[in-house]
Amino acid sequence: MDNQDGVTSADQPNDLSRRDFIKLGIGSALAVAGASTLAACSPAAPSAAPTASAHQGMQHGDTNGYAEESMMPGFEGDVNHAANGFNPTDILSDFDYGRVSTLPSGQTLREYDVFAAVKTVELMPGIQYEAWTYNGRVPGPTFRCTEGDRIRINFTNGTGHSHTMHFHGIHPGDMDGVYEQVPPGGKFVYEFDPEPFGLHLYHCHIFPLAEHIARGLYGAFIIDPKQGRPKADHEFVMVMTGTDLDFDSENDVYAVNFIPFHYDKHPIRIKVGELVRVYLANLLEFDPINSFHLHANFFHYYPTGTSLIPGEFTDTIAQMQAQRGILEFRYKFPGKYMFHAHKTEFAELGWTGVFEVES
Amino acid sequence: METTIPTQSNSTRTWLLFILPVILLAGVIGLFLFTNGAGLNVKPVVPIETVQFERTVLYPGVIELHVRNNSPQPIELAQVIINDSVWPFTATPSKVVPRLGQAIVTLKYPWTHASAYNIAVFSSNSIAFRTEIPVAAETATASTGTLLSFTLIGLYVGVIPVLLGMLWFPALKQLGARGLMFLMALTAGLLIYLGIDAASEALEIAAGLGGPFQGVGLVGIGVVATFMLLDAITRRQVGVGRSEAAQRLTLAFMIAVGIGLHNLGEGLAIGAAYSVGAAALGTFLVIGFIIQNITEGLGIIAPVLKDNASLSSLAGMGLIGGAPAIAGAWVGGLSFSQPLAVIFLAIGAGAVFEVAYEIAKLIQKDAVKRPMPLTVFAGVTAGMLMLYITGLFIK
Repeated sequence: MDNQDGVTSADQPNDLSRRDFIKLGIGSALAVAGASTLAACSPAAPSAAPTASAHQGMQHGDTNGYAEESMMPGFEGDVNHAANGFNPTDILSDFDYGRVSTLPSGQTLREYDVFAAVKTVELMPGIQYEAWTYNGRVPGPTFRCTEGDRIRINFTNGTGHSHTMHFHGIHPGDMDGVYEQVPPGGKFVYEFDPEPFGLHLYHCHIFPLAEHIARGLYGAFIIDPKQGRPKADHEFVMVMTGTDLDFDSENDVYAVNFIPFHYDKHPIRIKVGELVRVYLANLLEFDPINSFHLHANFFHYYPTGTSLIPGEFTDTIAQMQAQRGILEFRYKFPGKYMFHAHKTEFAELGWTGVFEVES
Repeated sequence: METTIPTQSNSTRTWLLFILPVILLAGVIGLFLFTNGAGLNVKPVVPIETVQFERTVLYPGVIELHVRNNSPQPIELAQVIINDSVWPFTATPSKVVPRLGQAIVTLKYPWTHASAYNIAVFSSNSIAFRTEIPVAAETATASTGTLLSFTLIGLYVGVIPVLLGMLWFPALKQLGARGLMFLMALTAGLLIYLGIDAASEALEIAAGLGGPFQGVGLVGIGVVATFMLLDAITRRQVGVGRSEAAQRLTLAFMIAVGIGLHNLGEGLAIGAAYSVGAAALGTFLVIGFIIQNITEGLGIIAPVLKDNASLSSLAGMGLIGGAPAIAGAWVGGLSFSQPLAVIFLAIGAGAVFEVAYEIAKLIQKDAVKRPMPLTVFAGVTAGMLMLYITGLFIK
């Protein structure tokens, strides 16, 4: 931290020059000074209430025994999901299989309409953030198809900037969504046979890339293997995100599926013994690494989901930007179990959630 | 122009002429508001929002931020992040702070002693206002213990040195005319130096005030108004036609008042620093203040050396000069307010400048009988150098 008043000299007060000393007094008076009595007499009197309770605690002799358990990061209240037009609880499992038809060749065609739009979203109570969205939500729709299908995405750009949809996976260069910039009001049709099976993602690829991604133009893209995966009781999509509120190229808050603390406030309900499959992707901009830690449990991890044999049995994994993988686990005991980034800073800035396991 | 006595209709006309520009002004403002800038595109891209953190108060498990909205429009405080944690908070009286209004943001946060905290308060427009607590320590509250220690600080840095300086009175009474002249000039030098010091201190704090407070203008008003007021008071007294000895005693009292105001400002800053806990008052620093402020006592007695000032008036002047340091330490330590500090320091600067001006007039009067320009030069310079050199101990 940068210490403008040079207060680190606290251990060596004799080194304080008088000027520094007085400056310190004034600078720190901003930082720390004041009194309950005078504050209580001043127009600032409303502060007397918390102050009084703090002091009552002291009078009872517990100088450091203030209820730390009640002190949890987060915020009070909830965002207006209806006004936002999307709810992270729904985003967990609203897989979009598209409009399905069969091509003359017999191949399955899945068709999607995607519209890029600027949308003011309530990210946290009271905080209005101007997000760039695919279909009015962040993350964008979770496209889901099966190996061997054809997908066709009719993309329309309804914003004032050029955008694209760049899919990860194997496809022709002119379907890669990099050089075919879609200008404001423009349209583009992405059509290809997606491969390989696994968990993939898509995002805008217009430069400056960091801004276009960080603003919300991203989503998950699942290609199921032909033979399918073992039937799970729950399948959840979790896109790890961060938001730079004040545009200083640093994330201010973090989340799974965009709204900080959402699954902390609205735990994900499952039952003991149920197979849970999580499609986890990291689209975090600005920070190099994100992570996922599951409490009181271990999971099988399938990196990128491109193999049916798990690569690891663990309780914590790390992902750099665009890395993704599939997690499978069952809970043995009922209870409330946290899951969060094991970069605790991210966790306390919103990337934290709870599985509520019922017997 | 006819020279008639204003009639009823004439005075009505005068009134109308006075009011006409005001009516037109209201019209122009109305035009501007209703046409959204009267042709100018005055809508900012992003709302202009500024917030001033005026005070931070720490109690066990609680951090209070006193914020003032200095922006052109109301601000809604939406979220708080402290040391990389989104933290629940309350704001009183409201999260929506009107222009120039204040809100107290309260975080129930388990802060630990001597840690550092960075806090960002986000407005609803996602604009971050940041502040820091460099070293967390519980804010001093007005208990008997803290009041006593602030009183002691004031005694050590204000009252004791000033009274000590005045103890030179019997010795200095032996001085001849040249010595007295030198001493007067020395006092003027001291006062000028103190005035510069107080003014620069005031400007420094003023720079940190929010834009609408116009800190530098506030300093100007404080300095000039105090100077003019003291000047007016002195002129009225001269007009009353009192003896020269009585006038010199008044001047001594005025010097005491000026120095007292200066010490009030000094007490404010020391009290504020002390209450932080981070700046434990070093022994060396206290000794430095005593050495420097002893010269202030010298200055107070300079005008009355020719006369037989009573012990009670000497003691009174000493207290006027020194005791405000105690009051300053109380206020600074228990409830520091930047605008108040700016005003006190500016008043102090104006007062010592005016008193220096009074001494200059006195010197001028004596110089008519016997000019000693080099003595005056040496005295003023010595006075300023004296504070400069003693300042080396504490700066």
